[in-house]
Order: sequence, then C-alpha cells, then structure tokens
Amino acid sequence: MNLKKLAKGILCFCLALFSTMAYAQNKEVTGKVTDSKDGSPVAGISVLGVTTSGKKVGTATANDGSFKLSSTDGISKITFSGVGFEKQDLNVAGKSDVAVSMKSSNTALNEVTVVGYGTLKKREITSAITRVNAEQFNKGNINDVAQLLQGKVAGLSISRAGGDVNGGFDIRLRGLSTIGSGTSPLVVIDGQVGADLNSVDPNDIKSIDVLKDGSSAAIYGTRGSAGVIIVTTKTGTKGTSQVTYNGSVSIENAARLTQHASAAEYRSLLKTLGAGTDYGATTDWYKEITRTAISHQHNLSFSGGNEHTTYNASVNYRDAQGIAITTGLKQLNGRLNITHKALNDRLVFNVEVSTTRKTADLGFSNAFEYATIYNPTSPVYAQKPEQDLAGGGYFEVSATEYSNPVALLRQNSNHQQLSRLNFAGSAEYEIVKGLKFLTRYAQQQTSTYLTAYSPSTAFIDRGFYNGVTGVGRHGYSYKKDDEATTQLYENTLSYNGKISNLEVAAVAGYSYQDFIYQGFNAGAGNFITDLSGQDFSTAQDIQNGLASINSYKNGNRLVAFFGRVNLNYNNFAFISASLRREGSTEFGPNNKWGYFPAVSAGVDLNKFLNLPGFNTLKLRGSYGVTGALPPSPGLAAITYTSGGNYLINGNWISTFGPNQNDNPDLRWEKKAETDIGLDFAAFNNRLSGTVDYYKRKTSDLIFNVEVPAPPALFHRAWKNIGDMTGNGIEVALNYEVIRKTSKFNWTTGVNFAHNHVVLTRLDPSAGSYIGETNLGSPGQEATQITRTYAGAEIGAFYNQVYMGLDANGKILADDGTGKAVPAGPGTYKTVIGHGLPKFEMGWTNTFNYGNFDLNFFLRGSFGHDLINTNRAFYENPSVAALYNVVKTKYFDPKLKDAQIFTSLYVEKGDFVKLDNATLGYNFNIVKKANGVKSFRAFLTGHNLFTITGYTGADPEVRYTDNLNGNILAPGIDRRSTWVLTRSFTVGVNIVL
Amino acid sequence: MKNKLIKSTLMAGLLFTGFSCTKLDEGPYLFDKVTGDKFGKTDLEVQSLVGAAYANLAGVGGNNHYIPLNEVTTDEIVVPTRGPDWGDGGHWVRLKRHTYVATDPLPANGWNFCYSGVSTCNRLIFNLTKIGTPSALEYIPELKALRAIYYYWLMDWYGNVPLSIDYSVTTPVGNSPRLDVYKFIESELTTNAPLLKKPTSVPDVATYGRVNYYTAEACLAKLYLNAELYGAGKQYDKAIAACDNIINSGVYNLMPNYADNFSQNDQGSKEFIWAIPFDHIKFGGLNINMMTLSYLNQRTYNINAQPWNGFASTAEFYKSYIDTIANPGTTGMVVGLSPKGDMTRGTLDKRLGNFIVGPQFAADGTRLVDDGADATDPDGTPFTFTPYMNELEPAAWRQSGARIGKWQMYNGMTSNMDNDFVIFRYADILLTKAESIARNTSNWNDATTLATVNQIRTLHGGVTPFATLTAATFLAERSREMFCEAWKRQDMIRFGTYNDAYGFHNADAPDALGPNGINHLNIFPIPDAQINANKLLKQNPGY
Repeated sequence: MNLKKLAKGILCFCLALFSTMAYAQNKEVTGKVTDSKDGSPVAGISVLGVTTSGKKVGTATANDGSFKLSSTDGISKITFSGVGFEKQDLNVAGKSDVAVSMKSSNTALNEVTVVGYGTLKKREITSAITRVNAEQFNKGNINDVAQLLQGKVAGLSISRAGGDVNGGFDIRLRGLSTIGSGTSPLVVIDGQVGADLNSVDPNDIKSIDVLKDGSSAAIYGTRGSAGVIIVTTKTGTKGTSQVTYNGSVSIENAARLTQHASAAEYRSLLKTLGAGTDYGATTDWYKEITRTAISHQHNLSFSGGNEHTTYNASVNYRDAQGIAITTGLKQLNGRLNITHKALNDRLVFNVEVSTTRKTADLGFSNAFEYATIYNPTSPVYAQKPEQDLAGGGYFEVSATEYSNPVALLRQNSNHQQLSRLNFAGSAEYEIVKGLKFLTRYAQQQTSTYLTAYSPSTAFIDRGFYNGVTGVGRHGYSYKKDDEATTQLYENTLSYNGKISNLEVAAVAGYSYQDFIYQGFNAGAGNFITDLSGQDFSTAQDIQNGLASINSYKNGNRLVAFFGRVNLNYNNFAFISASLRREGSTEFGPNNKWGYFPAVSAGVDLNKFLNLPGFNTLKLRGSYGVTGALPPSPGLAAITYTSGGNYLINGNWISTFGPNQNDNPDLRWEKKAETDIGLDFAAFNNRLSGTVDYYKRKTSDLIFNVEVPAPPALFHRAWKNIGDMTGNGIEVALNYEVIRKTSKFNWTTGVNFAHNHVVLTRLDPSAGSYIGETNLGSPGQEATQITRTYAGAEIGAFYNQVYMGLDANGKILADDGTGKAVPAGPGTYKTVIGHGLPKFEMGWTNTFNYGNFDLNFFLRGSFGHDLINTNRAFYENPSVAALYNVVKTKYFDPKLKDAQIFTSLYVEKGDFVKLDNATLGYNFNIVKKANGVKSFRAFLTGHNLFTITGYTGADPEVRYTDNLNGNILAPGIDRRSTWVLTRSFTVGVNIVL
Repeated sequence: MKNKLIKSTLMAGLLFTGFSCTKLDEGPYLFDKVTGDKFGKTDLEVQSLVGAAYANLAGVGGNNHYIPLNEVTTDEIVVPTRGPDWGDGGHWVRLKRHTYVATDPLPANGWNFCYSGVSTCNRLIFNLTKIGTPSALEYIPELKALRAIYYYWLMDWYGNVPLSIDYSVTTPVGNSPRLDVYKFIESELTTNAPLLKKPTSVPDVATYGRVNYYTAEACLAKLYLNAELYGAGKQYDKAIAACDNIINSGVYNLMPNYADNFSQNDQGSKEFIWAIPFDHIKFGGLNINMMTLSYLNQRTYNINAQPWNGFASTAEFYKSYIDTIANPGTTGMVVGLSPKGDMTRGTLDKRLGNFIVGPQFAADGTRLVDDGADATDPDGTPFTFTPYMNELEPAAWRQSGARIGKWQMYNGMTSNMDNDFVIFRYADILLTKAESIARNTSNWNDATTLATVNQIRTLHGGVTPFATLTAATFLAERSREMFCEAWKRQDMIRFGTYNDAYGFHNADAPDALGPNGINHLNIFPIPDAQINANKLLKQNPGY
C-alpha cells in the first residue's frame, strides 16, 4: 500500500466529514493543526485563506496548533504549509472549525541539494551526492572545517595524525582517484570555485554537499577528479530577526605518546650496553614539552531581512592553545552576506565578503621526536658549563639531529600570520519566467607570512630553516611571504520549466579563472643583538654574502564552457546530462583543451513496485569524466633558471640552463567513473539509506618519475605514466530505533566505505615502479620502504621480511623461500604491508530525552598497516649510546645489529575511536521573558578512547607521506608527528 | 513573448562571447622563468650557458659521490657508524667492505652527477651549433673535452655505460662496452685538445677553473696510465707523451710548500692543471670541514654550522706517515696509535698536516670538553682525536679517527670552504710519468722514476730520499702525496691492492666477472633507479 494513496484516502475521508457541516459562507474559520504521525499539535504552520472575492488572508498556527482566520467575506479555501510537511489545500466553504492533520513530507526527498551550478531536490538527484546539515556536524573543540565532516560521509576520509593544533587535515574522497595536482576534493563555497575550505568559519556553515561520483563532479571538469565539496553558508531569512551566540571553552591533553624507556629503564640499559652517559637527572621530556591546553571560541551572528533585502553577518574569534608548550593560534573571522532584490524580484544582487586573520605559533614538530629520544637522565637545564653549549642555560649535547626539546620550543620562534580576503558578488536577472542570467565575480586573496627566529643563545637544531645548525650563529632570522590570488568570473544562463509532466532544468555557462602565486623568502644570521632579529639590515650575513634570498611568481588560467540538462518526469524518472570543455595554460599547445562529459539517470522503482513497507526505492546510475591538472605550472615548456655561478674568464657569472625536463605532450589526466546507487526509505521513513557501487579508471596519470638522463636533461620528469582503476562500495543507513513517542527517541546511523585502487598500467618509459619513498634522515634516505608497480594495489610497503634474530643478535630475513638469512641490502624484498585502509566506518547515535540530548560517534579504519618509523630508527638497544630508545612490546634487548629496515616495523593500524560524545541540554524558555528564543548548553568529549593494537601514538591513516608529500606512499608514521590528544569542551548556543 | 525570449538569449549569448577569453598561452604566466628560445642572444648569455656545464662540478667537493666513491672504498678514508650517527642504512660500511649494491645511494649520485654534466654538454653542443655565431662555436671543443672527462669518470666507475652523445636523439640508449667508451674518450680528447686554449703561465685568469689544453692532456695521461685495466692494453708511451706535453711546456711547477696547494687561497698554485674554484659565497660545495670535523669543532674554527663528525682516516694509513722505517726522515713526538692517542716518536713528514689529530681547542685556546663522549673511550670527555678507531660499526667512538686536515681549516669559515679543489695536479702528472716509465720498463728503480719520487718527497714532505723503490713503496709514497685527492681507488686497482685486506676491509672474494676479467667489485653497480628507468640498461656482471 502506497503511503501517498493512504494519505489521500485519509484526506478524502476528512473532507467528507467536514462537508457534512453547514454549507454556509463563514467569515471566520478556526481550527487546529496536528501532526498525522502522532497527533501532536504543530506550531508555525502557515495558514493562507482565499475568500470568495479572491482576497488573501493569512496567519500561522500557535504553539497549541490552533489558528483563527477571519475575513469580511467568506473564506472558501485554505492552504496549509510548513517546513517538513506536505502542502495541503482544504475547501472550507461553509465550515467554521476544521481539524487538519498534516502529513510530514518526505523531507529527505524534498530537501534541496546543492549541485554544481544549481540546486536540485533530493528526489531528482541521479548521482552520488551526500548532504550534511549543520545539526549533523561534529561538535566540540573544532578549529578546522574538515573536522565537521570527519566520519560523516561514506567514502569521505578525513584524517590528521596527531593533535597539532595548526595541522591540516588530509581529505580523500573514495580513496586515491588522481595523482595529479589535487588529491583533496575541490571546494566550492557559495559558488566560489576553488576557495579554501577554511576561508569560512565552522560556525557559519549551513550545510555541506559532497559530490562523490564522476557524474556529479564532471561539471567542474579539470578539478573534479578528487570529488567536490560544496559549502553553503548561512543566509538571512526575510521577516525574521535573529541573533545567535555560540561559545565554548576546551581543555586538551596528550592521550597517547610514543612509548619509550623511562629514566630507570634507560639507566639499566646503559649498564648492560656499557656505553652512553648517565647525566644523573630524571626527566620526563614529554611532560616537559606538553601542557593542558586551554582554548575558547566565540561566534556572534545576526541575520534578518525584509521583502527586498536579507542579510547575515557573523564574527568569529578563536584562541586555541596547542598541547606543545608555546604553540597555538588566534583567529578572527568576519563574514557578511547580503542579498537584495529589485525589479519585482526579477533582479537579485548578492554580495558576500569574508575576511580571516590567523596568527599561529607553529612550534617545531620534531620536538616530539626529541621528547622520545632525548636522554631521560639529562636535566632540562645545564648543570655544568660544558652542558650549556650555547649559553642559553639549557642542557645540550653536540650531536646531529638531537636537540633539547624544551629549549627548541622555548628559545626559537616559528610564527605564521595568515590573512585571507574573500569577495564574491553576483547579479541574477530573470529574463522571462524560468530563464535566468547570472554573472558572478569572485576573488580570494591569501597571504601567509612566516617569521622564525633562533636567538644567539640557542643550540640550533637541523629542523630549523635553511639548514643552519649548532652554536655560535649569533642569531638566525627567517622570513617567508606567500601571496596567492585567484579570480573567478562566470556567466550562466539557466532555465527551469515544466512541459506537461516533464520538469526541465538546464544551465549553460562560461567560466574564467586565473591564479597568481608570488612570494619571497629570506634567511640571514649573525646579529649584534637578538633584539634586532626582525631587521634583516642588521644581519651581518648580508654584508658577508651569506644570506639567502629567493622569490617566485607564477600562475595559470582555466577557461571553460559548460552545460547541463536535468529532466524530471512526473517525480518518477530523472535524467541528467552535462558537458564541460575546459582548457588550461599548464598544458602544451597540442593538449590544452579537454572534454568532460557526464550522464546519469534515476527512477523511483517504488512508484510501480509498491513494495510493502517501502516509501521510496530509487535506483540510479551515472557515468562521468573528470580531469586533473599538473601539480605546478611551466612543465610543458623548456624554461631556464639560474643554476649557480661559475668562473668564466676570471669573472663569476650566474649560469643559466633548464631547470626541468620539458614535456610539450603533457595532457589531461582523466578519470571516468560509473556509479550505481540505490536510495531507499522504508517503514514510514524510519529506515532510510543509500548504497553506492562505483568503478572507475583514471588514465594518463600525471606523476614525477625517474627517466634516463640523457637523453632527458634531468633524471626526473613529469609525465603521463599510466592508468589506475578503482572500485568501491559505500553504504549509509539511518534508523529511528525509537520514534518520538513520549519523551524519548533514539536515532542511529552507520556509514561504511570500502575501496580498492590498483595501478593497472605503467608506461615502460616510467620504469618498473614509481612513488618510492625512503625511511629518511639521518642516513636512511636510500632505504626504500614503499613502491607502486603495475598490477599492484596503491600504497604497498616494500622491503625485507623479518625472520627473527640469530644467536649473535643479528637480524634475519626471508630469502624468498622461507629460509632465514642475514638481513642486508641485497636480501629478498617483497610487499610487506599496505598503507591504505580496506574499509572505514562511522557509527553515530543520537538520544533525546526531554530537554536532554546525547550524541556519540564512533569512527574506525580497518585493514591499513603503518610503518612505525620511531621504532625503525630507535627501537634498538645500540642507539642508547646516545639516544633514548623506543620501547614497545616489540623491544628486543637481544638485538645487536645496525638499524636495518624490515617488516618488523610494519604494524596493523586498525582502530576504533570514540571520536565525539556530546551531551546537551535545551533550557525551557519562558516566552518573551527576556527575549531569548533558545538556550542550549553542551559538554563534548573528543577522542575519548582509541582501541587499537598499534604501538605508535596515533593509528590514524596517513594518506600522504608528510615528509615529502608523496601521495603514493601512504601509511608512514613519521617521527615528527604530534602525539594523539583528547579534549573536553563546554559550550552554549543562545538565540535571541 | 517568444521574441523576447530569443532576444534575451541572443543578448546573453553576446555577453558570453564578449567576455569570453579563451587564450591559453602559458607565456604570460611564466613570470619568473625564461623560456629556452629566448636565451643565448648575447656573449654574456652564451658564457652563462657554458657555465652551466661547469656549475655541476660543485658536487665534487661534498660527501655525495666524487670523494667518497674514490676514497672510502680504499685504505685511506673510513666513515664509521658512530652509534646512531652515520649508520645511514649501512651504505658507508658497504663502501668500506666492498659490499655495495645497486640500490646504494652513492653510486646512484655519482651516475647522476656525471650524466647531468654529459646532458648539459650535449645540449650546449647542440644549441651553440644552432646559434652558430663565432663566439658560440668557440666553446664547442671545450664542451666536448669536458664531456669526455665526465665520461672518463663514468667509465672508470661503472665500466659499461651508455654513450649518449647527441642531444637530438631523444630515445635512451643501452650500455656500451668499457673499451668502446675508452675509445670515445680518447678520440674526443685527442681531437679537441689542440683546439683548446694553451695558457703560457699559471695561474691563468682566462681558463682558470675550466678545461684547457693541459687539462685534456692530463685526462689523457690518466686514461693511458690505466688503459690496461680498461681493456685497451699497455699505453704507457702515450701516457708519458701526454705527461711530457704538460711537463715540457714549462707552465707548471711544484709548489715549494705542499700546503699551498690546499690553503684557503690556493688559487695561486703553480701545480693546478685543473682545479674546481670553490668559494664560500659564489661557488659553495667544498664541505670537507663538515664531513670530517666533529660537532664541537664548530667552536675551534667559529664555523657557521655544526660539522657532521663523519669522515676520518684509518690508523694504518696515518701510520704510513709516522712510521720511521717505511717513511724515513727526521723524527719527533707525534700523536701515536694507542686508543688514548698518547704521544710517540715518529717521522715528522710535513704532509702530516693532512690530518687533524690530538687534543682539540676552542678558538680562544680553551680545551674543548665533550660531555657526550663515549663511556668506553679511554681518553674520556677531554676532546681528543685519536688515529685509533675502536670499530667500524656499530659504535665507533665519536672522538676516534684522524680527521682530514689537508684542505686548510681557517677561522670563521662557513660550511662551504674557499679552498679550490684540485682535480689534476702537477705532482700527480710527474708521478704518472714516473710510474708509466717504471711500468714500461718493469723497473721501479728507473733513474727518472726514483728522482721524481724523491724530488716530490723531499720538497713536499721534508723527509729523507729513498735509495730504492718497489711497486708497494711507490704506491705508499704516491698515497702520502695524493691523500684524499680522489685517485686512490684507481691507484689501488692498478697496483692490485684494491681487493686485498686492509683496515676495516677483508679481502674480497676473487672473481673475474668484470670487464676484461677484472674483479666485478672493481667497477660499481649500475644504479637500480637507472635500470628501472631504462629498459635497455643491463646490470654489470656480478651484481
């Protein structure tokens, strides 16, 4: 039985009931509106009556659902409408009191979803798009927009290993789908394509739509391969006036550390080893460099509007401390969004301006490495003159890549100032009904200014800028300025109309966008006084020719023509087709333009199947082609830059030559993706869900590979090197376990994503493998630990297989036949792990009881391995001669060998985290008592527990090697990663 | 209505085309780059282009290829694993033990260094020919000779290397047999040498730092001296002739003071046939101070960076200077070979300045104290370099090993030294001739040979002349003179001692897998990355 038919039946019955009443023209109609679901009164329903003379009268239902309409002449018809309910027309001729039962609309299906260059109702969507509304966002100690979505969308992976307050998040949609310029999805904020996700404050976001499949992203052409995230910010509503304040305070602590020997354990290790030095102190270096970080954030916004103008303005301030001493950020953000209508609403202007200024104390992440390995018997402060190497009073020992972490953080500054200005303006004119012309201009300017200073009394660590090291540098100053500007100019012509049962939505447009990047950096030392460290002219390095200065300016331009048609046949069958033709300056003359087509269709099977219990059952299929740009401009042409000096005829001449291999044949990387999806709702919409299966092929992958030089000029080149295929499945389910019957309800939601990506073809000119990365400095730069080759899954770890120790404590490895042989560089190597997860899950539960609400959210990744580089470098008793050792359950005191990398340092990374738990309370507001509309207080815990077998600090998936940005080398837990943190937040939301 | 619709659509269409820019030329966006077709118009720009073929040579002064491949593989230099420092995945130890593999970084760096030079020369020979002006064409013989020197290094290190010599050929080529590469180098050098500039005195401003006639002859002398190993038979007459072309010109002379060849301002040396003109500002790259000095020595010389505590000499090589029998001369108290570095009586060879040994001081004269000294090091925290080294790995004491002091360490130096690094030195050419005569006549006591050795030995070392010589004492004397100038690997292979047992190196297993039946270890493996990138490349036998 179809629900709609049932509703219609009920309605007819009601009408019949009412029509038995006196058939007279009434001047007043009263009534009560209730929810068809449970009979509870519904407030705020718009009641619009039409009188016999055609006049309109209107009101809205009160808190108890009652209304009263009166008119001088009789009311013949009333239309009831309200958010979340189906519109209902009622013939009231001759009635004075009516009871109206409102049927909740299938909100899921009528909800507006933002797609590229337009909006569609959810029911009309024919591709894989997930919308997340503000109420579903993660809450708590949030400083980055990406955190709002973490774990919320099946197939959208958001990760940050460790709790660096200034650290960014890796965002991946459906795994690795491109190895071109951007592996993170394209971000569109209110139509501003390519905006920075953090140009909007988390508080100002109304909703986020994630365009997952090739078909929905294809309208964005060259930048759609990694998916698209569309952010819609809050706007004003006409006839309202609202002031909102959100404020919270958080405390954050280290939750999991890199396991290492205590001072006592280290002392006994020194005795057995007969090497190393006991300096007599007992220092917990982690304790010394961390603290309870306190953060607070405030958001004040006000919005409203009248018939012509609506606005929303907000101010955000956040001050967050990092758990590492001296680190943190302060950010002030403002946003203004104004819409004005003219010419009888046919001309609509919109201006949106936002500005962000963030000052960050980045600290030095290798302090965490040193906290692990710094000798725990060393005191923090020098006890003898020879321990005070630099004269700053801190204990230091002369060694390479080894520095007192407290001194590192306390003495040196690493300060970043980020300013961002976004401007977007648009004008839309409705030429005739349904046909609109829109022109939009937007720009984003980002300035990042970094200043770092190491004073004359610091023992400079190699992790400082420009490789300066040691003592006696008399101060070293480093400044870096990066300026990025992008301008977007777009025109679209759109049409929305209905031809009998066919709804048509079409859009065609032109897009122009250019990007300019410029900046400089300089470093110089040897100051007479540290006090003038910000004034380069006082650096004696400059007079001595020892300063370093670099600058750059480059850019690129994208031009595109695009169009799309959406057809909706009677809310039953849906078809969409789009095409984008796009060109970029970054390609060679022969390959500048590319075509990116897409087609998709959907049909609501339930319209004719009428499956028992089902409300909707929509099957959809899509196919779309997207592209990816090269990672940097100027790769096609042969360009010359200075390559150092040489002495020619007694004069130093700056030599010029190519700085890279040119590739005039470089062409678009293209991704073709097919997606089959099923959206369903059943049992009175209590159960709803989406299942997607996709399969894709990315061809002409752009990557930097080893080439024979000569004939090439350089031994690495950017080339189109092969094909990659991927497939995956995503499931999202929501179930109202207990519907609001009395005071209690419980909703649960789970999402699941699996994907599998294989490099299917590798061009012989790119060699037999690509994407290799190494264990790193000191000295293991030639120890390759990952590689990607044809036929293999992306993200393979590649090295020797550990087979235990021999009697002398030397490491044994598999020789390829299962026999243990001494490990060494020539020993058999094979795949020893995978850095990417097999599947990821999120599970959320929401409970409401009276005024209380409780939400907890579990997130997990499964099947990924991690290379624990802390162990690979330091879990070896022999390093105790200088360093503290990493000491996990794998620590073997019998090991008496050099640091040899084997599968011993590969661990399973599976984890489940209680990511977020929030308890909220909504206070009852006594109407008009103080003008407060709503008041809510909440307590959130973040990262409350982690279940994992991984011995490192954070088992989170590493999508990219953070040492060098290599996207084909996931899964490497680098030593300078911050430790995992836990936080608690208390906050309030007040609406006036 | 319909009309209006059409009109509006047309208007919108016009708006589209009116504002639609579709230009996608990248040129306007390459703000900070010069495209290749716009460079090389003026003489200065041509000089700038040619300079690029040389700028690559900055690499010879560091720890990435040239010095370590030629020295750490021999009895002269060792880079021990000092606890967690310099373990570096074991590749330094493998160089010492001759267990290097195709994935090791240094052979890979050496390959990239040489072929980067070859690539640049190929490109410039092609482009300058295209430019075609006399001032452009003038550089072509010089670039061909420089390319031949890069190939000489490649052939010496890897044997069978691909001969890629034409920029217009864009497909990779496979290996050429070592002998073919030898012939190419010989032909290029003999053809182009006469076309090169011939300085009449040194230092010669016009060709300093660059390849001139004598540079080409010096490279030929080296090529012929080792010709037998390269599979080209005995070529000692040709080696002597090449040496004579240099010696008889009268342009070069031995420096009375050995150290003047390696001082901060060694550009004036009369011995420099070809030196790389390092400069701490203009041409950085000579990092021997960083490679060899200890962290604490930053305060000895007020260096602007902390040294790396890596490269050291071996005790047995240091001993070859102070040994009163092997190296007779005036004796005195010198730092000895005991684990504590106690003073002992030994020969006072002036070339002992090649090493930094004994107690270390800050620039102001105060004794340096090393709070991080190894607990087992008998001389404790007072900071002392001992020629004695307890072990190669895993825990060589951080203060152990005589350090390389040959290139003058001066107060206030930066991590990049000013000293110029000589590739072809006059004393080496004299010794090359002396050795060629001895080998030609199978007589190490040939009068010219003995006189040449004693001339250098007495002048530079201030030690007693030898009455007689053997191959072994000739090599020992040559090594005292040529320490760390990056010829030792070739010398030991030529004297047949490369595969013997010496400090921290056990005798190599004998085999005849290399070209012309030499031990396969006497050429390096072709780097794995190259084999991966170029399907035509075959690995050297034995690897």
